Amino acid sequence: MTVFKTFLKVLNKCKVPIIIYTVMLVFFSAFNMQTSEKNISFADSKPNILIVNKEANKDKITKNFINYLSKNSNEVNVSMNEEKIDDALFYRDVSYVIYVPKNFGKDVLHGKNPEIKIKSTKDYGASLANMMVERYLKVANVYSDVTDNEDELVTLIDDTLSKKVKVNLTTKLDTKLIEKAAFYHNFLNYCILAGTIYVICLVLSSFKEENIKKRTIVSSMSHKNYNRILLLSNALFAFILWIFYCILAFILMDKIMFSTHGLIFIINSFIFTICALTLAFLIANLVSNKNAVNGIVNVVALGSSFLCGAFVPTSMLPDFVLKIAHILPSYWFIKTNEMLKEMEVFTFDTLKPILTNMFIVICFSIIFIIITNVFSSKKRHNK
Amino acid sequence: MKNVIEVKGLTKKYKELKAADNLSFEVKEGEILGLLGPNGSGKSTTINCLLSLLNFNNGSIKIFNEEMHPNAYDIKRKIGVVFQDVAVFEELNVYDNIDYFCGLYINDKRKRKKCIEEAVKLVGLEDFKKFYPKQLSGGLLRRLNIACGIAHKPKLIILDEPTVAVDPQSRNNILDGIKKLRDDGATIIYTTHYMEEVEILCDRIIILDKGKVIASGTSSELKNLASSKEKIVVEIMNLDKKHLKEINTLKNVKQVIYKDGNLTITYDKGKNNIVDLMSYFKKEEITYNNIFVMRPTLNDVFLELTGKELRD
Repeated sequence: MTVFKTFLKVLNKCKVPIIIYTVMLVFFSAFNMQTSEKNISFADSKPNILIVNKEANKDKITKNFINYLSKNSNEVNVSMNEEKIDDALFYRDVSYVIYVPKNFGKDVLHGKNPEIKIKSTKDYGASLANMMVERYLKVANVYSDVTDNEDELVTLIDDTLSKKVKVNLTTKLDTKLIEKAAFYHNFLNYCILAGTIYVICLVLSSFKEENIKKRTIVSSMSHKNYNRILLLSNALFAFILWIFYCILAFILMDKIMFSTHGLIFIINSFIFTICALTLAFLIANLVSNKNAVNGIVNVVALGSSFLCGAFVPTSMLPDFVLKIAHILPSYWFIKTNEMLKEMEVFTFDTLKPILTNMFIVICFSIIFIIITNVFSSKKRHNK
Repeated sequence: MKNVIEVKGLTKKYKELKAADNLSFEVKEGEILGLLGPNGSGKSTTINCLLSLLNFNNGSIKIFNEEMHPNAYDIKRKIGVVFQDVAVFEELNVYDNIDYFCGLYINDKRKRKKCIEEAVKLVGLEDFKKFYPKQLSGGLLRRLNIACGIAHKPKLIILDEPTVAVDPQSRNNILDGIKKLRDDGATIIYTTHYMEEVEILCDRIIILDKGKVIASGTSSELKNLASSKEKIVVEIMNLDKKHLKEINTLKNVKQVIYKDGNLTITYDKGKNNIVDLMSYFKKEEITYNNIFVMRPTLNDVFLELTGKELRD
């Protein structure tokens, strides 16, 4: 009890960093929720395009093509001066500029691919406009093999492109909420790593300080019992920290945490907490200098969080960074969170990759325990 | 009186170096034993072996008539240790630090509280109970270190240079505290560089050098080992060569040195040589300012036995 009480008193001195990590987590999660709120509504929009065709007498196919584009997009009125066109693109007044060539109609009719020059802002609107152009040309190309008649071809193209299909979205997945939960749990990677490593290293460096350790060894308390109490105290701290972050997740994310997604998020974070605990023990064994703890927390927690996509989506990280990240447990923890974002059906087959990730994190924990034991016994042997 | 510690043929080697070389000694119940020796003489090694903090190559150690080993928790319960380096938690205040170390021995909360209060009183830290180690001076920190080691009321206390770098007030306080512990029935092993402390405190002294016991006994017994028995220093302004020669021929005189107005006479026998010297001064009408009589110190003994100073 004395050792545990003292553990709590020393732990009490480390509360400030834990509060800071938690405040950061709440702040960033709340910020993320705010930004997600803005993106949830869907509004039908048309791209802003400019069609340049200097032909005075347009054939039917060219007219039909221009008509199709005009109908499905906002045709912007810009002076046909190249400098003005570039300005319009730069200021995003126009997303897509199409230069319809002179023999466009003839080329389409004879199944040739007309060379269409374009200028684009490469944004979402430009992609949409590009899709429309490609769709028209593909349809025209198919029907050009069937007929050589200009009127017939135009009719066939119009018939095809005017067809509408009703799409029903059957998914029940609340992607907005799941994304929030995934962001929270990705960020949790940093909080759990930094919290456990910082606190456990600081507390253990106090207890393992050479002179205090000597005094403990010469006391009448069994050394095995003493080590067991310390180990359990640290494990209890990590467990309480995990519980606290779980409760916070329930408060911030509400109903998603009561779903299967929430359950897997919780299991994943629990396994990762165990891994962080074993890593903290390993570092505490390697480092006895209290002043070094801050630096180590920055290198290990912040470093692996950046490398593995805790702060930045993994899709934005370069391939070589992600390859390096494979050797870190954080990568597998975050990978599970990311997978959960797109998962709707939970069967053994769909859960297989997630279970594999969890197994890898457990393997990391086992490796950390083995290294810690080898290092400790080597240290004892040297003495 | 029965033996509390029995060390027989203790040998501890660090590769080729023998830190303890066939050491044998006993510590009797209720005595303060001083372990005296320069740095590297084997004092700390001996203590670490006694406490089973170090393995040793040969010999045996019995404490309270039982073989000492790392898992001898019943023996450890009766031992209190104050290490040379201060061993306290920076994160705990004075009271909590003593509570922690006392709690490693005593589970009963009420009993522990009483012990802590007594330890605090013994080292004079009553006004600093809520202070953190960083807020304490070097002397107060050493007192806290002692309180942490003795709060559980051990029957055997080992103090490894507890007064290093301590102010005179704290030193007196610590030495008074140690005497009180002895008066309360504790057996004490006290290691130090400082011979004055050993002379004031210890019932028996063991002088160590290169891992060996080179002399042991009470302070007086050890001083008797010195070939010079008395030293008299006289402040005289003018002393001619004739008088110097005559002083050299006085009874028991071993050596005479006259330098910077100080006449130092070393005697190889006797305790009252000053009477003869003053009679001579009176007869020769030699005037002097001050006169001091000095008995040989433990340092003189150590110098004669090893050829080097204790603090070398």
